[in-house]
Amino acid sequence: MKKKYLFSIVFLVGIALSSCKKFDYYQINPNTPTQADPSLELANIEQTAFATISTDAGLATRQLVYTQSASTTQYYGWQRAGFSYGNISQVVKMEQEAVRTAKPNYKYLGKFFRSYYIVGITLNFGDVPYSQAMQALNNNFSDAAVRPVYDAQEDIYLQVLNDLKLASDSLSASGGIINNDIIYNGDVTQWKKAINTFSLRVLMSLSKKEANTKLNIKQRFNDIVSNPAKYPLFTSNDDNAKLTYYDLVGNRYPYNNSNSLKTDYYLDDSFVKMLKGLKDPRLFVYGTPTPNAVAAGLSTKDFNAYAGLIGSAPVADNVQKMTAGNASAINHRYAYDAVNEPSVAIGYPELQFILAEAVARGWIAGDINKFYTGGIRNAMLFSRYKGDAAYTLNDIETYLNQQSVALQAGTQVQQILMQRYINTFMNTGWQSFYEQRRTGFPTFETAGSGMLNGGKIPTRWMYPTAELNNNGVNVDNAIKRQYPGGDDINGVMWLLQ
Amino acid sequence: MRKNVLFMIFSSIKFCLLLLFFLFTATNSFAQNITVKGQVLDGETKTPIPAVNILVKGTSLKAATNANGVYTLTNVDPKAVLVFTYIGYTPQEISLHGQTQLNVILNADNGNLKEVVVTALGIKKEKKSIGYAVQEVKGETLEKVKSPTAIGALAGKVAGLNISNTTDLFQSPTISLRGQTPLIVIDGIPDPTADPYKINADDIESITVLKGTAAGALYGSIGINGAIMYTTKRGKKGKTSVEINSSTMFQTGYTVVPKVQTQYGAGNNGKYAYVDGSGGGTEGGGWIWGPKLDQKDPSTPSGYYETTQYNSPTDPVTGKLIPLPWISRGKDNIKNFFRTGMLSSNSVSVSTSGENGSFRISAANNYQKGTVPNTGVNNSSFSVSGNYALSPKLTMDGRLTYNREYANNYPSTGYGPTNILYNLLLWIGPDVDIRDLRNYWVKGKEGIQQRNYNLSWYNNPYFIANEQLNGYRKDNTFGNFSLNYQIAPDFSAKLRSGFNQYGTDADSRYPYSYIGYGTLSKGDYSYTKSSHFDIATDLILTYKHKFNDDFNLSVIGGAANSYNNTKGMTTSTDGLNIPGFYNIANSTNPLKGSNSLQERQINSLYTMADLEAYRFLYLSFTGRRDQTSTLPVKNNAYFYPSGSLSAVLSDALKLPETISFLKVRTSVAKVNSGAITTDPNNFYAQIQTYNIGNKWNGNASLSWPDSYKMPNLIPNTVMSWESGMVVGLFKNRLNVDVTYFQNKEYNNFQLVPLSETSGYTTLLQNANVYQRKGWEFMVSGTPVKTSSFEWESSFNFSNSHRWLKEATLSTDGYIGNLKVGERADKIFTSLYQRTPDGQTIYGSNGMPLNDPYQRSIGYADANWIYGWQNTFKYKNISLSIAVDGRIGGSIYSTTNYKMWWGGTALGTVNQYRDDANAGKSTYVGKGVIVTSGAATYDNHGNIISDTRQYAPNTTPVNYIAYNTGTGSSAENNYFYYSGTYLKMREVALTYTLPQKWIKKQKVFQGASVSLIGNNLFMLAKIPNVDPDAESDNLQTPSMRSIGFNFNLKF
Repeated sequence: MKKKYLFSIVFLVGIALSSCKKFDYYQINPNTPTQADPSLELANIEQTAFATISTDAGLATRQLVYTQSASTTQYYGWQRAGFSYGNISQVVKMEQEAVRTAKPNYKYLGKFFRSYYIVGITLNFGDVPYSQAMQALNNNFSDAAVRPVYDAQEDIYLQVLNDLKLASDSLSASGGIINNDIIYNGDVTQWKKAINTFSLRVLMSLSKKEANTKLNIKQRFNDIVSNPAKYPLFTSNDDNAKLTYYDLVGNRYPYNNSNSLKTDYYLDDSFVKMLKGLKDPRLFVYGTPTPNAVAAGLSTKDFNAYAGLIGSAPVADNVQKMTAGNASAINHRYAYDAVNEPSVAIGYPELQFILAEAVARGWIAGDINKFYTGGIRNAMLFSRYKGDAAYTLNDIETYLNQQSVALQAGTQVQQILMQRYINTFMNTGWQSFYEQRRTGFPTFETAGSGMLNGGKIPTRWMYPTAELNNNGVNVDNAIKRQYPGGDDINGVMWLLQ
Repeated sequence: MRKNVLFMIFSSIKFCLLLLFFLFTATNSFAQNITVKGQVLDGETKTPIPAVNILVKGTSLKAATNANGVYTLTNVDPKAVLVFTYIGYTPQEISLHGQTQLNVILNADNGNLKEVVVTALGIKKEKKSIGYAVQEVKGETLEKVKSPTAIGALAGKVAGLNISNTTDLFQSPTISLRGQTPLIVIDGIPDPTADPYKINADDIESITVLKGTAAGALYGSIGINGAIMYTTKRGKKGKTSVEINSSTMFQTGYTVVPKVQTQYGAGNNGKYAYVDGSGGGTEGGGWIWGPKLDQKDPSTPSGYYETTQYNSPTDPVTGKLIPLPWISRGKDNIKNFFRTGMLSSNSVSVSTSGENGSFRISAANNYQKGTVPNTGVNNSSFSVSGNYALSPKLTMDGRLTYNREYANNYPSTGYGPTNILYNLLLWIGPDVDIRDLRNYWVKGKEGIQQRNYNLSWYNNPYFIANEQLNGYRKDNTFGNFSLNYQIAPDFSAKLRSGFNQYGTDADSRYPYSYIGYGTLSKGDYSYTKSSHFDIATDLILTYKHKFNDDFNLSVIGGAANSYNNTKGMTTSTDGLNIPGFYNIANSTNPLKGSNSLQERQINSLYTMADLEAYRFLYLSFTGRRDQTSTLPVKNNAYFYPSGSLSAVLSDALKLPETISFLKVRTSVAKVNSGAITTDPNNFYAQIQTYNIGNKWNGNASLSWPDSYKMPNLIPNTVMSWESGMVVGLFKNRLNVDVTYFQNKEYNNFQLVPLSETSGYTTLLQNANVYQRKGWEFMVSGTPVKTSSFEWESSFNFSNSHRWLKEATLSTDGYIGNLKVGERADKIFTSLYQRTPDGQTIYGSNGMPLNDPYQRSIGYADANWIYGWQNTFKYKNISLSIAVDGRIGGSIYSTTNYKMWWGGTALGTVNQYRDDANAGKSTYVGKGVIVTSGAATYDNHGNIISDTRQYAPNTTPVNYIAYNTGTGSSAENNYFYYSGTYLKMREVALTYTLPQKWIKKQKVFQGASVSLIGNNLFMLAKIPNVDPDAESDNLQTPSMRSIGFNFNLKF
């Protein structure tokens, strides 16, 4: 009797403990990897880097007006912005995996993405950490590594220009196949075109530093433009550095079905007047006719069917005009079309406008009109949403042949920048804001009583709170050496001096 | 190193088996058996007690006392232990030590002071011997007034246990024991993934709350936050009984319901004209800031102001919409939409017992009919349990429970387009009659396009209730078995193994034309399956020895192994080819999916030694060593010690007559989390890996986390100390139990913020020291007791707060906004700029200025939580009333904020609103403007210098723009409210059938009927929402439940 129980107990204990495994077994996470091929990081970086569609940029550049509440962007009362160094961390990680797997092309793409991101950051703040940044990813947690010093903006640009050159020089077919590339499908030449075109954008953004011998921007600009075999540039819209949207989960146009875009975004009055003045048919693909115009039976291609709200006027005034049916909302496609148009990081039309401005500034020799009209033509081709339904190829030529569009002596730079501005409606991020800040063109309307910041357009953002908490000494030093008035949104950074 | 090897050998399975083999083959010597006689007397009256049961422990040998209290037992082992039991008296166990004459005094069981309670691992101990805080709740208290979950019914009943009951259907209550989430244990088996719905309240014999770290230390790392132990019912000795318990409650009214304005309709700026539902332009963007309702206008056919509305007919000639009168048709939308909910709980159990064991089966069903149409939850349980003495020395016990939870649809919670309240309370103006929306499809577009007054932001509430469905099905199977072998009178071994298994599948359906944030559904559908299995096995050896009358020793040694496995898989599509056909095979696009596996193993050895000295001093030590897979192999074992002391001074000292009982106790324990995470469900937290990124057109991606786990992390550790005292006064008519505890939490896992320019935004490090302190008071007693009337009352109150003691890695004594020495639950949020004396600062445009620094607005934790239970008995009628609540602490209310912001709050009805509708800007925000000077701040926003001069703000603004811009936050304390409340939680008025009626017939052994109520009434400082949930993210209105309970025993 006793033995029977004993046997069964021993047996049961055996069963109960048979689930034991060696502890080493549990030291591998079966759900996510610890190492990866650099191509997997690339697809992630590209999605972030090339996603440039932003309604905020539209509000800050007087193309859009927001009616739900007082937008600090629209009324120029913003304060701090985030840094987004996390994007650079992903690039560094890709570079590390490139070294580990001996696939150098990813390392050179990394140089481009690093440069692309740090330019975006320094444009917003001025001096920021760069040369001493990202060391924690090498498991360096020393004091200097976790609290990096701030580099002078000038030094950052020097590093960027050198890195971009290095990337273009070094990317090669022998550097290994680039997989998982959602932008150029691994085409090295296309990447070189994008990198060189981006270099020209960076050089033009430094136009106030023409005389700077350290940077030597005119020389660098010419080095690229004059050697298309070594430094190829975009030759058509097909070359655009763009993220194409798909009607798939997580791949749709970022404002697809945005509730707010359906009800709260209207065209700005100054922008509508600009397009009306030029008889620019892009108005029909950027906006919708006002409810009153629809009620009155006006055609969508009638310039009189469009009216904007005043970006600097108080919200209540704009809401009044909106609820009275007198405002053109942003075009439905931005909310209702899952694919809409691609997000362009930098495109062929922009290159043409940069080259036109370079001619106007005497940096390079060339046919300014060819660059200018080429820029407009390609910009209008890009914006031709659903083809002829928007406007025909003839309409484009008609537009170009207008006296009001043709370049006039004395206002060349202004006209080039206005076209560059019209081209970036709901695209290419904040580029128009930076260009306006550099050149003053076009003028943003600030007369209304809704304006914050004493009626001024800010020139920068305050450093993020996290930096004050976690890198206080270095950010304080950077503020002191750059901005006598303290960390202020109206401070003038080196780039703009 | 050598130590590790030794330990590995020691902990190996082989050793366990060898030990077991040794134990069970050890023979006990047989001596000459004897005859024992004696008398049993009442401790107080010293009179004989007849019919006392005397059992020779570990055998079936027994006897009873005669009318003179005398008993005789023959053929007894001289080393045997005799157990004396009699109803109403504290049982006694006495070792014979060869005595043949044994007189015994039994003491009447006065209340809970001499009870036996269940402690860690299911070990039963006499309550007075326990050196840490324990509180027991009897299963009967859960019998009458039912909550959706058994644990939800504990709200207010246990000092230190904070249960926040949500008002939303099928959401789990939040359980917090001394501020942390405790371990759930069922019949001694830890259930780390327990869901509160799986346990049938009528199967619960008792719930024991082990409040502190010391109490739970024997469970090792998983017991770090204390434990809630369920003990399930077994068959009662000596009878067969059938019990039927049935409660039905109807949710007939509101305890708290938001009050909305009924004077203004949809629109913005006092304008509204429906065009096509797209929301923009003249439709006003979806706001409820439209024209005033019920305004007379003699020029219209109806005599009221008219405008086009969603239900306007189309003029057949012009094709235009015909204006309709703008009147308050939707004054009672909330009342008209919600229906009477119901909670019906029915259970039946049959138990029997015989000479050698008992057996119980039970079945229960809970059905909750939701107040939202087409919602409900079913919850069914079946359980079998039993125990049996296979031989005088070997007993077995076991239970197996199957539970099924299923809901075809339960309402979504939280602010957003799936929430009924979002669409019903906040964003439908009183211009829309909810009953008009009952037909929720557009005619001719059934299944494709919902019918609603707005199609850019909101959904028709009936459409959500009937088409946006959340299904959930869960099968729980859980049980345990144990074998107990009395090797010798002093020595026993127990083998126990228990498991918890579940499988869930959940799906969510989003019909065509459902509007979310950034989605317009073409049939989104997701299906998630998960399965879980855990098993825990313990081998426990117990040695009990009475050295002499002054010393008693009890030692246990145990080995345990536990294994956890959770798998999950989810598949989703965002488009269906055929509308309404919810099958992933009907997907338009490629399916999206992911799966996961989590495994954990813990091997443990533990020991406990209890020493009783001089019949009043109780000393206990426990130690446990856990070796766990959730730590790196080289450093995966930790030791968890605890010690406690209890001194029953009333047994040792001569005390004044008023003091009938006095005990002091103290305990210490040190336990750590056993893992590199504070998330007990993440078994791989110590491994740094990539995250899975978004797939782009079929291309997979990965991203590296922005947080880095520093090498050489060790588990976070709690060093806990508590002391307490129990006083019984006036023959224990009044009992007071006080506990003070203090935990030092160190080696915490802290995501230490880093400059993101370094490459990481945070480093996971062992850092910072927190201290948690709290008081727990329980006062209970019987204020009135006569032959026919009795009033029992029990009041408890407690608090628990956490302070930041050291910021070990901070250079300036701050962690984020929190400064060393401050309470960790301090709330920081974005406010408008304020003057040092608290006035709001406005800008030149008349709107308040944003403050670039976060500011404190109070504390999240309650100052005190309290509960008060009363039972009044008069003859066969009893009335029990339970109230509870909290004092202090701040709660943020989304509902109130959104009501102000959106235009439905009662407070927005004023002259300024009419002015704004008329296009006039007349509202002047209360506060100041800065006329000159400036303030400078340090990096944490503290003012360094301030030269600001102020003048009153005089700039009038449009009242509607002011509210859509600020929500009048500054005027409403930013929608943080005091959490103070008092709630009448439960009332039960019970009539028990008199004994004389019961005796007259043979069918029933007992019967009672009760009138019951739940959540009846509350007093609170926060408007429009129920603070019981301790948070408000657009909660369901709080409902009052009233009904009946029938209890029959056969």
